[in-house]
Amino acid sequence: MNVDKKRKLQHVLIFLLNVPLMLIILVPLFYTFSISVMPADEIYQNHLIPTSVNWINYIQAFTNPYYNFLRMIFNSFFVSIVVMLAQMVTCSLAAFAFSFLEFKGKHVLFLAVLATMMVPGEVTIVANYLTMTSWGLLDTYRALILPYMTSAMGIFLLRQYYLTFAKELYEAAKLDGCSNIRFLATIVTPLSRPALGALGAYEFLNTWNQYMWPLLVTNSKNYRTVQIGISMLYDIDAESLGLMMAGVIIVIVPSLSIFVFMNKQLINGLMAGAVKG
Amino acid sequence: MKKVCMMGLLLLVSFGLLFAQGSAESAPAAAQTKKPVEITFWHAMGGVNGEAMNTLVTNFNKEYDGKIHVTYEYQGDYDDEFSKIQASGGNYPCDIIQVYDIGTRYMIDSGWVKPVQDFVDKDHFDLAQIEPNIAAYYTVGGKLYSMPFNSSTPILYYNKTAFDEAGIKEVPKNFDDIIAISEKLKQVNADGTVKRYGFGMGNYGWFFEQWVGKMGKNYVNNNNGRGDKPATAVAFDSNGAGLQIINIWDKLLKSGVAPYLNQNNADAKAAFIAGNICMTLESTAALKSLLNNVGDKFEIGVAYFPSINKDDVGGVSVGGGSLWMLDTKDNTRMDATWEFLKYMVNAENQAYWNKMTGYFPVTTKALDTETFKENVKKYPQFQVALNQLHDSKPQYAGSLLSVFSESRQIVQAYIARLANKELNPQQTLDGMAKDINKAIETYNKVNY
Repeated sequence: MNVDKKRKLQHVLIFLLNVPLMLIILVPLFYTFSISVMPADEIYQNHLIPTSVNWINYIQAFTNPYYNFLRMIFNSFFVSIVVMLAQMVTCSLAAFAFSFLEFKGKHVLFLAVLATMMVPGEVTIVANYLTMTSWGLLDTYRALILPYMTSAMGIFLLRQYYLTFAKELYEAAKLDGCSNIRFLATIVTPLSRPALGALGAYEFLNTWNQYMWPLLVTNSKNYRTVQIGISMLYDIDAESLGLMMAGVIIVIVPSLSIFVFMNKQLINGLMAGAVKG
Repeated sequence: MKKVCMMGLLLLVSFGLLFAQGSAESAPAAAQTKKPVEITFWHAMGGVNGEAMNTLVTNFNKEYDGKIHVTYEYQGDYDDEFSKIQASGGNYPCDIIQVYDIGTRYMIDSGWVKPVQDFVDKDHFDLAQIEPNIAAYYTVGGKLYSMPFNSSTPILYYNKTAFDEAGIKEVPKNFDDIIAISEKLKQVNADGTVKRYGFGMGNYGWFFEQWVGKMGKNYVNNNNGRGDKPATAVAFDSNGAGLQIINIWDKLLKSGVAPYLNQNNADAKAAFIAGNICMTLESTAALKSLLNNVGDKFEIGVAYFPSINKDDVGGVSVGGGSLWMLDTKDNTRMDATWEFLKYMVNAENQAYWNKMTGYFPVTTKALDTETFKENVKKYPQFQVALNQLHDSKPQYAGSLLSVFSESRQIVQAYIARLANKELNPQQTLDGMAKDINKAIETYNKVNY
């Protein structure tokens, strides 16, 4: 009884603490939304809630062929999903080698992989761009996907997770004549779903939010992603805040929903690798 | 196992898609002789400006159906687009590119461009139809390098309703006027905090450049960067223009006439729309968005960009962008490009462009079109902007500098420190001049 009460009190306290936090996080989002449905002359009057709601900005963003948001949303989804799946495959293969296999120079190699995490993406962007140009891949989906098909962060995350597996598991499987690929596919992968899910969600969001790279390597509307779409709604001399905010809302809905769906996996996965290493 | 299989399958399918796309692209184009000339146009216009651009190019493609086809693509805002051309310009990724005013010197120096003047001469195109004060900006060494397209000047916007309430009849012409009438417009709350300021402006490097021109002085040496050789150092420190500007700025902030409204112009604009400041400086191209956002809360008046001193003799120069032709060495395409450029600046199109965006019509004949006349009737404020442009002179066309965007950042950073009371006006000026000179020197060392 006493324990029950204590727990209840704890719940209430946590709830009370969370409400203001939630408000702090949600108010800007809500404000973004309300600007996007406000009549233009109300935006600068410091209203949090619009007096009347109009959807004109959304209709414009979707129906004006100049913006072509639907195509850009498709492109973003396509690129993000392919990158996400590719990373799951390449990273788990590399992580498998770095955790279960024994070979010469394993540690040096692993350190070399980790070292690439220290190089900010902006440094390599021009070099990558030149590579893409010389391969004639500008303005294709491949240019958007190829450079991001693996990542040191993913390899590291999965490797840390695989290290928590008992070595005996691998040895037993080997004794029974299980090949490495089969072991990875049928035993390790199902067991590491939280880590894979976290990696997937993380990479999906990363790719979804890219701006500079897609802008550089795509020249035509057919391959443009949503983040460029948002900047298309903006102009320094003729800004229409409502339209821009509508674009922002359209673009964050998918990433927010990914977070809602993958929330559990994300948190479990990131924690799992962190504790035991 | 099933799931893994599914994942593998999905991956396979997506790869298939990728390469299917690829093979379609690399299939050799059917050799047709009667195909229209394909040219590519990169631009940086977003929002309503982008929509207006869309209409213009679509109309062109309709009119030249079967002869020329223009593919136009938005490439990010001016800065993004400029970085992109800096990275890829040598490969001639497009035929025409819209570049902002301050990228002019870089484009000339790059060696990738074909001066528009070559086609003007070949085609006997009458340059007199282009607004002389706009053409002057893009003319270097007697050559028109790019086709002016979207041009604007800064202008003073004021809250006419507040002016009427305070009984102010004369619009301010210089900062003495502004300081005098700001006192009348200022409203203070009972607790001593300011409710409404008379004047406020963003910390925007463009204004600094404009004031130098408004004094008739040079921003950089070597004939304001327009000589045979590019500029090697700033001139505003030695000719006294810089210190006068900084002194006024300092005075405005210290005396409480104007609040400090951060770098760039967004905050000043918001404050003006909200009615917290009664006068502000903005581009003429912002007129429409200001009118839309203010609605019927108050009436907007416009006046000439204020000068620093009463007796300044100079003029404003244009900002905005122009269309550059890249030297693709393909004469058919360059001829088609020239046709397109002529189309973009014809009277009817410029009147339409002006109506939709608020940029000046760059062609004088556009002023005679019905579209323009109707527009000015609807927005009489625009006439003031136009008069201001006409009252300037080609010799105040403004400076050219290859590191202009950097220089603007430096000016703003130092003004911010002045506002912060870290530096006094003289230190601000010295710091600015030193940093900009260093940037110019580095650039020149690498590029010449």
